[in-house]
Amino acid sequence: MRLELQEVSIRHGAIAAVLGVSLTVESGTVAAILGANGAGKSTIMRGIAGLVPLHAGRILIDGRAIENLPTEQRIRDGIALSPEGRRLFPEMSVHDNLVCGAYLRRDQTGVRADLDKVYALFPRLAERRNSLGRNLSGGEQQMAAIGRAVMARPRLLLLDEPSLGLAPAVIHVMANAIRRIAATGVTVLLVEQNSHLALSLSKTGHVLESGRLVRSAPAAELLADADLKRAYLGDDPLALESLAASPPPV
Amino acid sequence: MFQQFLVVAGLSSATYMLIALGFTLIFGIMRVVNFAHGEFLLIGAYAVFVAQHQFGLDYLVALPLAALVAGGIGVVAERALFRRFTGDETGGMIVGLALAIAIKGAVTILFGVDSQPIARPFSGSIEVAGAFIPRDQLFAAGVALVMVALIWWLLNHSRLGLAMRAVAQAPEVARLQGITPWKTYPVAFGIGCALAGLAGALVAPIYGAEPNMGEAALMKAFIIVVLGGLGSIPGALVASCLLATIDSGISILFNATIAALVSFAAVILVLLVRPAGLLGRS
Repeated sequence: MRLELQEVSIRHGAIAAVLGVSLTVESGTVAAILGANGAGKSTIMRGIAGLVPLHAGRILIDGRAIENLPTEQRIRDGIALSPEGRRLFPEMSVHDNLVCGAYLRRDQTGVRADLDKVYALFPRLAERRNSLGRNLSGGEQQMAAIGRAVMARPRLLLLDEPSLGLAPAVIHVMANAIRRIAATGVTVLLVEQNSHLALSLSKTGHVLESGRLVRSAPAAELLADADLKRAYLGDDPLALESLAASPPPV
Repeated sequence: MFQQFLVVAGLSSATYMLIALGFTLIFGIMRVVNFAHGEFLLIGAYAVFVAQHQFGLDYLVALPLAALVAGGIGVVAERALFRRFTGDETGGMIVGLALAIAIKGAVTILFGVDSQPIARPFSGSIEVAGAFIPRDQLFAAGVALVMVALIWWLLNHSRLGLAMRAVAQAPEVARLQGITPWKTYPVAFGIGCALAGLAGALVAPIYGAEPNMGEAALMKAFIIVVLGGLGSIPGALVASCLLATIDSGISILFNATIAALVSFAAVILVLLVRPAGLLGRS
């Protein structure tokens, strides 16, 4: 599914959270929106899913405007969002959380097959399938949140901060899972503070600063651009690493 | 006497569960404290009365009809009144209170203040281990338990139940799964009111139908959900048994007034020690 944002602006009361953002994600590709905390990344995701109204602009999927549709209809049209902070149903088992993702689907055999696929993708979830959402670790919650979004069999998958707060080993699991999901042909839009991770998964990167899009380029080009990290991606782990590696000031 | 106490406690537990289940279901899903819950019980009782006396229907036919009538009025009340107070707990309470007064007033105008007799579907009692179990109460408790089990199944093993749990736990995330809270609310409210109506229809042959029965029922529901934890279904079931035990035990040993006193003292105690209720989460 092709996603196109045209001059999208979103306000929180009097504050402009997103200002005139235009970008396109080609069908079957992975794109990343990068930026520091508070740059408006999550707000864009919520805008695409219809959880916040647009102040101005249009959102098109496969050329069709969806900005006036309610969230439920956008889900029906093939969009799924793994939201910031995972947001699992706390009193539901992992199994029920995943089944909830397939709420709109009527093909019970397909749902069962996809459940098995999610458990194969995240074996840890299979072990914890009867645990309540609130009892999972951060990494398990993230797996379940992505799994739940995948269970909808979306054509556009929105992943909001899938690596936030996770241990490096778990981030590695997550990255591999996202690669495998993307390989099935679903269009993926990724929001990340961890720009190195996001760019390594993506074809295109979009850099957001204070609600404005300041740069869109192929991921490889952005990865090679050291200035970019310093300029816009405040708490980039690689930048921190290089900082730690440099000799301390005397 | 101990056997008789067990019988009374067991029979009241089942009815209490039915009343409290609807009340806590509505709160859990919509965050509405339905102060008109007792009046839906009233509607169920008078529906049986009307079905028997106006239409000459058998009690066993009138029983499901009464639940449907209460459920139907519940759906209308949700769409017309409670919908605009979703998430506004104070507003919902005030609307519920107003609706309760309106329903009770309407019933009083239509049927008067006197208790209306309902023909008993069963009579006599059976004797088990030295205790007498009235057949009509046994039937009421049996139907109540079956309904509680059905609702449990509905919530945990059906698509509708999944949607209701999702909306109860995180309405916005439910929308992200394609679940429309606005469609789930009237269904949940209707089910809660139907349960109250059924409870009213079940107790009507035992106590008759009279305009004040709603208040007593609301008080029971209120005590139970505060004890068990607002919105917690297991909490409501456990607290139903607890209240039934306190009620029947103290009623047998002393009298009903002291039983009411003790149950409210228990509520105050729980609120002081465990504000979220026995099985509730704050």
